[in-house]
Amino acid sequence: MIRAIGLTKTFSTGVGAPVVVLKGLDLEVKAGEYLAVTGPSGSGKSTLLNLLGLLDGADSGGIWFGEERVSSVGRRRQALIRGSQVGFIFQAFHLIASLTALENVALAARYVGGDRADAKRRAQALLARLGVAHRTRHYPAQLSGGEQQRVAFCRAVLNDPPLILADEPTGNLDEDHARVIREELRARARERGTTVLLVTHHPEAFGEADRVLALVDGRLAEP
Amino acid sequence: MVIARLVPRGYLFTVLGIAVGMAGLVALGGMAERITRFIEGGDRFVLGQISVAGQGLGMGAGFTGGGLLPRGKLQEILTVPGVAAVQAQVMLPLNPVTSQFLTLTQELILGLDLSVPMPNRHYRELPVRAGRFLRSGDRREVVVGADFAAARGLGPGSRLALDGRDFVVVGVLERTLTAPDRFAIVGIEAARDLWLAKDPLLRQVFGAGASLSLQDLNTGAAVGWVDGEDPDAVARRIAQRVAGVNIAIPSEVSRLLRNSTAFFSALIVGIGTLGLLIGALSLANTVTAALFERIRDFGIKRALGATDLQLLAEVLRESLVVSLAGGGAGIALALALGWGIHGWVARQGQQLFLFSPRLLAGAVVFSLVLGALAAAHATFRIARVPPAEAIRRGS
Repeated sequence: MIRAIGLTKTFSTGVGAPVVVLKGLDLEVKAGEYLAVTGPSGSGKSTLLNLLGLLDGADSGGIWFGEERVSSVGRRRQALIRGSQVGFIFQAFHLIASLTALENVALAARYVGGDRADAKRRAQALLARLGVAHRTRHYPAQLSGGEQQRVAFCRAVLNDPPLILADEPTGNLDEDHARVIREELRARARERGTTVLLVTHHPEAFGEADRVLALVDGRLAEP
Repeated sequence: MVIARLVPRGYLFTVLGIAVGMAGLVALGGMAERITRFIEGGDRFVLGQISVAGQGLGMGAGFTGGGLLPRGKLQEILTVPGVAAVQAQVMLPLNPVTSQFLTLTQELILGLDLSVPMPNRHYRELPVRAGRFLRSGDRREVVVGADFAAARGLGPGSRLALDGRDFVVVGVLERTLTAPDRFAIVGIEAARDLWLAKDPLLRQVFGAGASLSLQDLNTGAAVGWVDGEDPDAVARRIAQRVAGVNIAIPSEVSRLLRNSTAFFSALIVGIGTLGLLIGALSLANTVTAALFERIRDFGIKRALGATDLQLLAEVLRESLVVSLAGGGAGIALALALGWGIHGWVARQGQQLFLFSPRLLAGAVVFSLVLGALAAAHATFRIARVPPAEAIRRGS
C-alpha cells in the first residue's frame, strides 16, 4: 500500500556539518499491516513519519501510495492526500488549544469537504467509544494527558484514513491509557484493514505489531 | 468582558493591541479633520462674498485689512454693475493685546448692518443652536459663537460685558469649527460704540470736529453679486470704479488663505501620514505576530488536509473579525479620549478633535484592508514552512 524508495533527508543545524538523518531508506508496508518502527532517540523515526505523511519533503527518493507517487504531486494534491488518506497521532497530542475536544475532532472533516453535522455526529460517537464523551465541551488545557491523546486519536481516525502514522502516541501516557491507544490501533488494523505505522521505543508495543523494524544509521533493518 | 465574547478565542490581546494603534490613528485623524474643517470654513467664507475695506493700514478689519470705509464709499460700491448688496461691517479684536499674534484663533467682535441681508452666498444666515439671531434694531443684544459661549458658560439670557458695556446674549451659534465659533456678533451701531471706546485716536479725530459721522465708522463691507456674475470680475470692476478702497478678489483671497495656512496643511499631511504609519505598523505587526504565535496550529491544520487557500480563507475570516473588533475598540477608545479632552479644553473655548463620519468610516476600512493584507502576507509566509517544521516551531 505504501512504498518508499531511497529516502534521504539532511538537516542543517547551523553549527557544524549538516546531519544526514535518512540515508537512502527503503520501506514497503502492506495494506492492513501494523508496523512498529523502533530506534534510539535522534535516529530519524519522526522524520521518517513526517516524510511518509507528506509533512516534510525528502531530499531525494520517492514515496508511493498505491500506484501514485505522492511525493511528487502538487501542494494541493498533497493536502488532499493528507486529509483523506492519512491520520496522524503525535506524542505531544497537538490539539488546538482554542477549540473544544469535539471541535478538535470534527476539524479533521473540515478540510476534506465532509458534511459538518455528520462530522460532529461521528466525532461524538468516537469520543463516546474512547470514553471521553463527557469532555466534549472542554478545552485541551482542561483535559488530562490520557484524555487529550484519546481526543487526538479520534481526530486521526475521523475520516477513516487507510493509513495511520503514530509518532510515540503513548510516550506521555501511563500504562492504562497507553494500552487503550495501542488496542484501538490494533483494532483499526484488524477490523478495518487500516495500515498502521507506529514509531515507538516501548518494547510492550512490539507484541501487537505484525512486524518490527529498527531505524539504524539512516536505514531500516530487522531488529 | 463583551469584547472577549465577540472575538475568536485567544485573540483578546491582539484586539487590544490593534485597538491601541487604531485609537492613536483615529485621534490623530480627528485633529487633522479639525484643522481641515477650520481651513475649509475660512475658504468657503471668503469665496462667498467680496470683502472690501477702506484704504489704509489699520488692523482688525477682517480678511482685507485697511482703514475706514466711509458710508459714501459703500454707496458708490452699490452702484457698480453686478453688485447686488453691500453690508457694512465693523470687525474688532476683543482683546487687542493678543490679537496681533493669534490671528487664526482670536476672538472678534463683529458688528453687522442688520438692515441688509447677509450677502455671503455660503452664509446667508449663521445657524443658531440656541435662542435667535440678531434682528434689525438690536443694540444691546449679542449672539455668540459656540466656542465663545463655551469658554464663558454663556447661553440665551446670559449677560456679557464688552468693554464695560452690558449686552444680553440672545443666541448661541451652532459650532462651525471655523472663525465664527469665536465671534461675538452685535448690531453695527453697538460695534461702532465699542470701536470708539477702544480707540483713543478715533475719539480724538471725532473730538477735533472731523467731517465724519458714526455711519462712516466701518472697517469693511461684505459685497454680494448678482446671479450669473463672476465674483472676481465684479471685484475688479469695483476696484476700477471706486477709488480709495482695498478690494479682496475672492479667488485670490482663497489662494492667499490657503498659502497662509500652508503650515497647517503640511501639518495635516504629516499627522495623517504619521497616524497611518502608526496604525498600519501596529495593526500589521499585531496580526502577523498573532498568526505566527499560532504557527503550530496551522501546521496541524495542514496535517489534517488544509490547503493553502483554505488556510488563507480561514485566516482572513479570523483576521477580519479581529481587525474589526480592534478597529471598533480603537475608535471607541479614541472617542472616549476625545470626549475627555474636549471636556477639558472646551472650558478654554477650544475643540481639538473632529471625529467626522468619513474619518470613522475610513478607520474601519483601513483596519479591514490592513488586517486582510497582514493576514494574507502572514499566511503566505506560513504556507512556505513545511507542516512538520511549523508544528515543531510552535511546540
